[in-house]
Amino acid sequence: MDVELYSILLLPLCSAAIIALFLRSSKWGGATVSVTSAGIALAMAVAAMLSDAKIEAFESRHVLFSLGDFSMNFGVLFDPAAMNMLFVVCFVGFLIHVFSVGYMDKDPCKGRFFAGMSFFMFSMTGLVLSSNLFMMFVFWELVGFSSYALIAHYADTEAARAASKKAFIVNRVGDVGFLLGIIFCQAKFGTTSFSELSQILSQNPSQASTLMGLLLLCGFLGKSAQFPLQVWLPDAMAGPTPVSALIHAATMVAAGVFMLVRLSAVGMLAPDVLDTVAILCALMAFFAGLWALGQNDIKKILAYSTLAHLGLMGVGVSLGYDLAMYHLTMHAFFKATLFLVAGSIIHACCHEQDIYKMGGLFRRMPLTSFVGLLASLSIIAIPYFSGYYSKEAILAASFGKAHITGAVFDQIVFWLVMGAALLTPIYMGRLFFNVFLGKPNSEKAANAKESGIFMILPLLVLGIYSLAGGWSFAYDIFWLDGKMDGLLPSAATQFVGNMLEVHMPALESVQGAGLLAKLALSLTVLGLLAAYFLYGRNRGYDTLQRNVPILYDALKQHGWFDSLYDWYVAKVQQRFAVLLATFADMFLIELLFVRGIGAFCAVIGYGIKGLHVCSANSQVRWFAAGALLLFLLFVAF
Amino acid sequence: MDDFYIISIYAGVYVPLIFAVLLALIYPVAGGKAARVLGMTAASVSALASLAVWYGFLKLHSGSPNFAFTSDIADFLPALGVNGISVPFFALAGVVGFAAVYWACISDIKSVKAYMILLLFMQGGLMGVFASTNLLWIYMFHEFALVPTFVATCVWGGAGKRMAAMQMAVYLTLGALVSLVGIIALVVFSGSDGFGIGEIASALKSVELNASLQGWIFALLLFGLGTLVSLFPFYTWAPRGYSAAPTSFSMLHAGVLKKFGLYLLFQVCAPMLPAGLSEWVWCLAVLALFNVLYIGLVTMAQRDLKMMVSYSSVAHMGLCFLGLCSTSILGVGGALILMFGHGLSVALLFMLSNAVVNRTGQWDMRQMGGLYKKTPVLAAFFIAAIFASIGLPGFANFWGELSILVSLWNFSPAICALAALGLIISAIYGLRAVAWVFMGTPSEPLRRDFDSISDLSLRERFPAFVLIAALAFAGFFPWTIAEPVNANLSAQAVYNQSK
Repeated sequence: MDVELYSILLLPLCSAAIIALFLRSSKWGGATVSVTSAGIALAMAVAAMLSDAKIEAFESRHVLFSLGDFSMNFGVLFDPAAMNMLFVVCFVGFLIHVFSVGYMDKDPCKGRFFAGMSFFMFSMTGLVLSSNLFMMFVFWELVGFSSYALIAHYADTEAARAASKKAFIVNRVGDVGFLLGIIFCQAKFGTTSFSELSQILSQNPSQASTLMGLLLLCGFLGKSAQFPLQVWLPDAMAGPTPVSALIHAATMVAAGVFMLVRLSAVGMLAPDVLDTVAILCALMAFFAGLWALGQNDIKKILAYSTLAHLGLMGVGVSLGYDLAMYHLTMHAFFKATLFLVAGSIIHACCHEQDIYKMGGLFRRMPLTSFVGLLASLSIIAIPYFSGYYSKEAILAASFGKAHITGAVFDQIVFWLVMGAALLTPIYMGRLFFNVFLGKPNSEKAANAKESGIFMILPLLVLGIYSLAGGWSFAYDIFWLDGKMDGLLPSAATQFVGNMLEVHMPALESVQGAGLLAKLALSLTVLGLLAAYFLYGRNRGYDTLQRNVPILYDALKQHGWFDSLYDWYVAKVQQRFAVLLATFADMFLIELLFVRGIGAFCAVIGYGIKGLHVCSANSQVRWFAAGALLLFLLFVAF
Repeated sequence: MDDFYIISIYAGVYVPLIFAVLLALIYPVAGGKAARVLGMTAASVSALASLAVWYGFLKLHSGSPNFAFTSDIADFLPALGVNGISVPFFALAGVVGFAAVYWACISDIKSVKAYMILLLFMQGGLMGVFASTNLLWIYMFHEFALVPTFVATCVWGGAGKRMAAMQMAVYLTLGALVSLVGIIALVVFSGSDGFGIGEIASALKSVELNASLQGWIFALLLFGLGTLVSLFPFYTWAPRGYSAAPTSFSMLHAGVLKKFGLYLLFQVCAPMLPAGLSEWVWCLAVLALFNVLYIGLVTMAQRDLKMMVSYSSVAHMGLCFLGLCSTSILGVGGALILMFGHGLSVALLFMLSNAVVNRTGQWDMRQMGGLYKKTPVLAAFFIAAIFASIGLPGFANFWGELSILVSLWNFSPAICALAALGLIISAIYGLRAVAWVFMGTPSEPLRRDFDSISDLSLRERFPAFVLIAALAFAGFFPWTIAEPVNANLSAQAVYNQSK
């Protein structure tokens, strides 16, 4: 087991190193090596999951170094949660690698791109398999670096230059809190290993500290782009579209949720912390849905939608971590699909990203559009599509909690989530109607052609998962002697599945649960109708922008967070730094202190020099003065 | 087997010195090429010898807290030997020295013979600092390495070289003198017969120095050594000096020589003066925090590439000092790892900055831009160096910073949290530099000659690759530093107090 897991981890690293060292300028070499490594990693991951249907958990560790009584362990933990996440990462990752071969065909810096993708696969796999928090932090930083490097792929554009820097720094802000939380955990429990923490906390659950939880939460807020650190994610769309699909939609941003799931499963998150997660994420789920209506760039709309769904997962964590993992898996399928559809369109429309310059693509790119339709139906939670099951579960759990406790806080969270459920069909409808239906609104869209085989195949596979991925969890479908649970390996579904079996009956038995399902469905339909009347009929402009520009601008500013932070950076932080550099460093220390001492010595020396004139007169004067002084001293004593 | 490593230590220290003397003797007849060949030979021998010693120590004496490979050939020669703390730095001096001499050999330098003589003297002195078992000789070797820096800055330096050399000379001589007084006081009061570290330590076992005396001696040493390591507020020599000094000397000084003060503090002062340390520890913590936060912010305001690198090196020294605050194996061990990593990364940054400036003809980062299109390899090395220095896992610096922060939590969670803010600050100035220099489109002044800019040549890549490889090696195998360090620190009572 050890060997397989380490090769899943190290294969992409080797691929990245080989490409970076030898294949940078090769035309197809980089792509071949990278896709092969991703494919082998997927095959090995699936083989490991299928080999022995009942592995509960596998753990191994090696000491990386030790100083005093602290030792840094490099370990892998292959438990049901890791299997679920590993399947998502390897499967979606491999398909996106294949897609990239088509998407990046004309890019001159292909080698750099594929090296970055392989490096990302390495760091993400490592994050998933980490057996302790320090190791997770190591890979946490490495995925941050891959994200930085890949956002900066088109580094000559101003957008990529600013966005890559911003993404890394905003993440660092969260990471500092995360790191302090980890250090606190190490100081308090003497270990950060998940299995050992789980033992300690299961014996004494009251040891979970709120402060520690809040510090650890900072890492989630940065990586999963939640309030108030969400600003980097929409900007990160400056990277190539496969990167946005893999890193900024399906896997890396979900790593924050995965971390919370891990911590929640060992009982590290105190109730206060869970409440904080719930309200921050519910707000994000609602507002990101609103802000999506203020964007015309197809990738930005999807980015805001990712924010909203990450918020939904966060709410899921606070209600029962299995729900979060459930939605994470479904979201990875349908959001990766949507981004790849967007990528296919952008590629066909010569890098046009404005949805009001598209239109009529259903006839020109039927396969892409059909997959896009599947994924859209999935994201707006139409029954029997993947997205429906997980979203419905979260809604029901939220409703159940509000119903049982009756607290205002829980009611607010519930209605925010319902609001988010209403907004999803509106912004997705706006996107769908304007991009696929009607007639083309620009030359580029009119000349669009269906993409090649490398892009279509992964799209079709992902489209199937957007439709049917959820069936594995919702129904009992067993293939291959029960080793495959529908389209997913059974090992990957057991984490969510086992928990759901416990939770679902309770959720369904809450009074009004049936009504809730109907209400949610009617909200979806209502949202779709609203989207059609507001944005349908393919006008080539945004109705809101033309008729109520104030409202549109307010949405476009997405809460003025960027303006606030820009103001802080430019007007407060940088001015303070310049003040320190000029006043404190140059003036006080360098000029007054250092040169001041020099000048002081010079003045004294000059004065003393004046006393030492070499002439007979002065010698006589000094002699007389000295004699007088001696005489006075003699008299005095 | 020990004999081979003893000879290696001697070779590491004396070959550069002998070659420097040789070069001086044939000065009138030698040409620039001879100087380069001699320099490269000496630096290669030194580097290989130092790596051999590191390897040998790990293989034969890795669990031992004492000096190994010691020998006394003659009384008038310094007693050489390495222990767990000094052996990584002996190797560091060898590797960075190699890169610095190599860079000097491929650069276009006026009167290269004189330059090479100074550089080799410095290199020999540096190797000697970390291979001596005797305090007086450590100090002498340090002075040996220090003086060439002043001369070289005065002769080959850049803008503002006279003022910078002057300032550096005054500060560093003062710091060295004060610490010499401290060293002498330590030896005298311990009643030891000589300056050998082992002798003093064993003398101290029978003499109990009272706390206030320890406090005084420690204060002298902290002030003196702190100045040498650019502790706040005695740091102003560093940024100006490094910016003005010729590249190879900046690399050696910032990368290796500056570590002397911390090395002595960890190796000698803290174990021998525990009461003195605990008296001054809060003062040290506050001053070091100024290094991390205040200097960090000042670094953010820099526009000049070399100034930015210089200030960042001052800022990073703060974290190394903070490692001492918790007085634990973890903290000091972390500081030693960070010193090792920082030595490599800052040397690399000085070297690459020199390469950038050679290509653009500017110092101001905002006057550059878009370089990555023309110099992808240079950009890759630069980004790797910046990420190493801001603590990306995979490079040595990360393990150092992590260990220091973990240890600081036991000292004071508040100080730990404040020190952690340094991680954000360093990311801001580091990434901003990358964005300004390499990303975007070329600025107006650069655009004229943009097409003639060329990437790093193969021979320029070599030293950069060596340094990056060393950083990654220590990042992937941190035990190669941690194991000998741990064995040594575990034997010191001061680092084993239970908290």
